[in-house]
Amino acid sequence: MTRSHDDHDHSHPHAEISDDHPGYYDIMETAVRELLVAKKLIGADEIRRQIEVLDSRTPALGARVVARAWTDPAFKARLLANGRAGCEELGISFYDDTQLIVIENTDKVHNLIVCTLCSCYPRPVLGLPPDWYKAKPYRARAVVEPRKVLAEFGTIIPDDVDVRVHDSTAMVRYLVLPRRPEGTEQYDEEQLAALVTRDTMIGVVPVGAPASVDVVRTAP
Amino acid sequence: MTDTEKLVNRLPNDLGGLPADPIQQTDHELEPWEKRCHALADVLDFHKIINTEEKRCGVEALGSEMVGKLTY
Repeated sequence: MTRSHDDHDHSHPHAEISDDHPGYYDIMETAVRELLVAKKLIGADEIRRQIEVLDSRTPALGARVVARAWTDPAFKARLLANGRAGCEELGISFYDDTQLIVIENTDKVHNLIVCTLCSCYPRPVLGLPPDWYKAKPYRARAVVEPRKVLAEFGTIIPDDVDVRVHDSTAMVRYLVLPRRPEGTEQYDEEQLAALVTRDTMIGVVPVGAPASVDVVRTAP
Repeated sequence: MTDTEKLVNRLPNDLGGLPADPIQQTDHELEPWEKRCHALADVLDFHKIINTEEKRCGVEALGSEMVGKLTY
């Protein structure tokens, strides 16, 4: 619904207090939720609590896992052997029944994760996936022309490095353990974690060298 | 190839290997109702009412046109 601004002299939009009617699917979600609660199939407070869980899951959790793996070889070995157990060691709970396989980038192998069938993603450690991960171009092309896809993210993988694409399933999710950038030998775990972004753990970009990250972080 | 092999069609969401456009690096903050849908599906999973594979099949059953047009 469009509001008239004739009665006051400012021009900012009122989207944040929009009195638009809720959309069809908005109403459908509410109806289904209220029916489930009325029939005692779920508790009245469970959706709100799960939204809090979803909001608490961000790539910062995955970055902590990566930084620990870079600094603690024994942890890294355990993480590569069992990704879920490794994350749980750091207090990251898995609210679903998925398994996690952590795959390590090396100077010989570059890994990339995708879900060609839908949008399976390591949500407990990265949060919800970006839109492009769920859209057709990435899902369709990552498995057949990964080097071209990577190039569209600005990532050029040398010909002598294997590119391995991991197609997620409902039960098995992947997380890329990116390479630790040079020049970070003196960094502590917290400083290392700050270098690790969501896209590096999907595998579409490498972790930037500290200097380039500083430039990005000081940008407006 | 036999004629019957031609009867095997891809399901709408089985996109791997199909030709497609360049990647558009898009993202958006979920609308509140979209986030509630995510949470609702999770809660239904906790109660063993639906599992992840059933969710995926549910999305697939919407068909490619709806999946392409609706937000997710």
